[in-house]
Amino acid sequence: MLNIKTKNRLSIFIVISVLSIVIIIFILKTLEDNVLYFYSPSDIKESNKIVFGDKIKIGGMVKSGSIKTNENEIKFIITDYKNEIIVSYKGTVPALFAEDKGVVAEGRLQDKKFFLAKRILAKHDENYMPPKIKESLEKNAK
Amino acid sequence: MLSNLGIISSSTSLLISLFLIYLSFVELKISGNQIPKKIYKFSLAQLIFSSLSFLILLIGYVFSDFSMINVYENSHTTKPLFYKISGTWGNHEGSLLLWINILVIFSFLFLILNKNKNKNFKIFTLIFQNLLISIFFIFLLTNSNPFSPVFPVPDEGLGLNPILQDPALAIHPPLLYVGFVGSSIYFSAALAALISKVEAKSLATTLKPWISISWFFQTTGILAGSIWAYYELGWGGYWFWDPVENSSLMPWFLMTALLHSVLVLERRMGLYSWVIILSILTFTMSVVGTFLVRSGILNSVHTFANDPSRGLFILTFLVLMVFSSIFIFFKYTPSEKKNYRIFSKEFFILINNWFMTFFLAVVLIGTLYPVFLDTLIGEKISVGPPYYNFVLAPFLIPLLFLMTSGPKHKWVSSETKKFFDIILFLSSLLFLIIFFVIKENNLLINLILLFSIYLIIQTIFDFYENLKNRNINLSRIISHFGFGLLIFFISINHIFSVESNFNVRVGEKKDIKNYVIKFKNLETSSGNNYKSVVGYFEILNKKKLTKENLKPEIRVYNHPKTITYEASINSNLFSDTYLTMSNISNSDIFNIKFQKKPFMNFIWFSVLLVSLGGIINFFNRKKQI
Amino acid sequence: MKKINLIIIFIFLIFIFTTLYLSLDNRKIYNTEDIVGQKIDEVELTLFNNNKTFNTKEISNYKFTLINFWASWCGPCRKEHKNLIKLSKNKNLKIIGVNFKDNKTQAKEFLKEMGDPFFILIKDPKGKQSVNFGVYGIPETILVNENLEILKKYIGPLGLKDVNEIRKIIKK
Repeated sequence: MLNIKTKNRLSIFIVISVLSIVIIIFILKTLEDNVLYFYSPSDIKESNKIVFGDKIKIGGMVKSGSIKTNENEIKFIITDYKNEIIVSYKGTVPALFAEDKGVVAEGRLQDKKFFLAKRILAKHDENYMPPKIKESLEKNAK
Repeated sequence: MLSNLGIISSSTSLLISLFLIYLSFVELKISGNQIPKKIYKFSLAQLIFSSLSFLILLIGYVFSDFSMINVYENSHTTKPLFYKISGTWGNHEGSLLLWINILVIFSFLFLILNKNKNKNFKIFTLIFQNLLISIFFIFLLTNSNPFSPVFPVPDEGLGLNPILQDPALAIHPPLLYVGFVGSSIYFSAALAALISKVEAKSLATTLKPWISISWFFQTTGILAGSIWAYYELGWGGYWFWDPVENSSLMPWFLMTALLHSVLVLERRMGLYSWVIILSILTFTMSVVGTFLVRSGILNSVHTFANDPSRGLFILTFLVLMVFSSIFIFFKYTPSEKKNYRIFSKEFFILINNWFMTFFLAVVLIGTLYPVFLDTLIGEKISVGPPYYNFVLAPFLIPLLFLMTSGPKHKWVSSETKKFFDIILFLSSLLFLIIFFVIKENNLLINLILLFSIYLIIQTIFDFYENLKNRNINLSRIISHFGFGLLIFFISINHIFSVESNFNVRVGEKKDIKNYVIKFKNLETSSGNNYKSVVGYFEILNKKKLTKENLKPEIRVYNHPKTITYEASINSNLFSDTYLTMSNISNSDIFNIKFQKKPFMNFIWFSVLLVSLGGIINFFNRKKQI
Repeated sequence: MKKINLIIIFIFLIFIFTTLYLSLDNRKIYNTEDIVGQKIDEVELTLFNNNKTFNTKEISNYKFTLINFWASWCGPCRKEHKNLIKLSKNKNLKIIGVNFKDNKTQAKEFLKEMGDPFFILIKDPKGKQSVNFGVYGIPETILVNENLEILKKYIGPLGLKDVNEIRKIIKK
């Protein structure tokens, strides 16, 4: 039979392994739950998998002449020059948010044409376009 | 001309570095314990030439010498002098030159200040450090040369981004560099110690001051960065789990573990392998951080512009560095007998190492996961702050408890200390009082509050105990006290922060909770290199019947054409009032973000206290042999 | 014990470093190879000096055309400009400049100071036209033949190596 010392070592080893596995699963699950997927307006139009309640990010260019402000919200259109989506946002807009510039909006889709944004991101370099937007624009430019 | 001088100066320093490596190898074969004067002289020369290079670039910025493309791209004649100076390191090439200067300064200081008697140890440290210096110089001169000339010489520069024109941001890179670039010296020393078989206590005494100093600067550097983010970015937050922030935090975890481990090494000769591995890992993680920031694979508010060739160079260097370190470690590591008794101080520090390693892994996974997913599957995602908060917060509870209970144990003993003592009782009482005042339901936050109070009370008690016995271990007490305060105030701030977004026109007012916010009027004004629109707001606190005035601004800079929103912040003792104003599409409607952020100053102060422990530790080393 | 640890660490590290390396490559590959071999679209562009239009179809009249995207505010554009001047001396090559998101006066001053290598100058103040060529940042340069096929795409300033490469291609 195993002696006491080995039994102790074994039980400690088992406890630590179990704990580690639990912690790892916990980390991976939290990671998955907090991952935000990125879509372009064309991705939204073509996809069949998007759940309308989920938090996602949509990126593209702000369409010329589309920004409209009223007392409660800002409405504008994100385009990738092939498809568009209307965005509604209540909140402070970052300094570089402007027409014909790159933008990424975080929030939830109401339906395929309408997006409720919780956060708007624009980059600090006015001529920098986030690679994700660049790639999706390039994909659509063909 | 400056351009040529700069290149010559840097190349000279590079050549000297290579020569130092050669001299060092030669010296290894010679017996005796004295390092020849030649090596000191060339080290000094290396320092002089690298400082000269930096000075030349600095002069270029101060005098707006646009014959260097780096100055042309990042500066402007109308920039205030302070920001012309800080512009020197506010770009990729200039900051790389600063990296190198710090590598050289630490190399030189180690050579002249270190009193270790093992000559081979010092020589090998010099060799490894100079290998690092040479490689970085080669990278600078071939790929990222700040002295690159441009002809014809433009008469005006392209200016620096106004968001980067801020005092906290100006000093935060140099602070951080002394931190994680400074860790290069114990990286080199660790490898050298393995090869030249430096024994435990001697290594600990040698490394401790360098670790303390770099840890202190890393902590204050991170603080400066958070303060900048809070005052400048306009969101009211001070930590966003942004990849660049994470890149400064990850080495910090390692440095903290290392700082504690080296104490064990010094007193008890245990944790030798940990000290070596952590020393190697800290600088490695710093290079990983630099890779992530400069290669362009991560998107962040403040990465330098994309350039895959830089990334390739750094990645190659990183791979070489990691594999050589592993090789040296496995070849030279001494066999160690592990015999710490459970419930000794040493055991608790070991547990701390595991905690730090865990935190490091969590942050590293969160930072790299988007990169890996994108590269391997093509799925584009980002990892939100909730991941970090969810995973890390629960572990603060055991950490705080161990920080409180661990130091009570002796170095050698294996008795458990009494768990239920008067301190725990007092803390629970204080917690209950606070609980009934705040009425917060969340179990996790309450537990965190409880254990941070426990740590705070215990450290206060320890302080008085120590005063009585005239046996002050002030550095631990201050740092742990500061950490307890930090977690406590971050939690309170989290519970009581108030935020509200609304749209108003001039003359209107809005009722938000206990406040009435009145948009009194709008004025235009101008500064050194910008024009601005200032909003005058009056905030009435209905409960306390006090009034505050705030004036957020919208600024338009000309070079380059940028718009920024300057938050108006009233930093009172117990709480900050934070107001940001923006205007879209030239309408007469302004969007206002109003925030009340309690205890911000206490949060900054706690971090300062934490860092103070490091500096006290540094100055204390004379007491120990 | 030690050997197994070492092997595990090795495999793990190799996996990480390879992925990081691939992530770097990710951009380069997508940017260049994808577009080489394709044809540029036939679009109407606006001339810089007057508001007349220029249809890219007309590029088929020339054996080789270099389309360079630049602006007066762009540092690297300044660096590569002398190479464009060099290339403009070549009879086989016509250089079309697209002035990207720029101010007209400043662009004119830039050309006055640095020389004008452009056979045709197009204006694109919003950057929308450049999107048709897959261009979102500058400087970028595309080499096209008379069939409107993209032979080469250069991202970043044209260096001497690129100049020599272009010269070799247009000799044929």
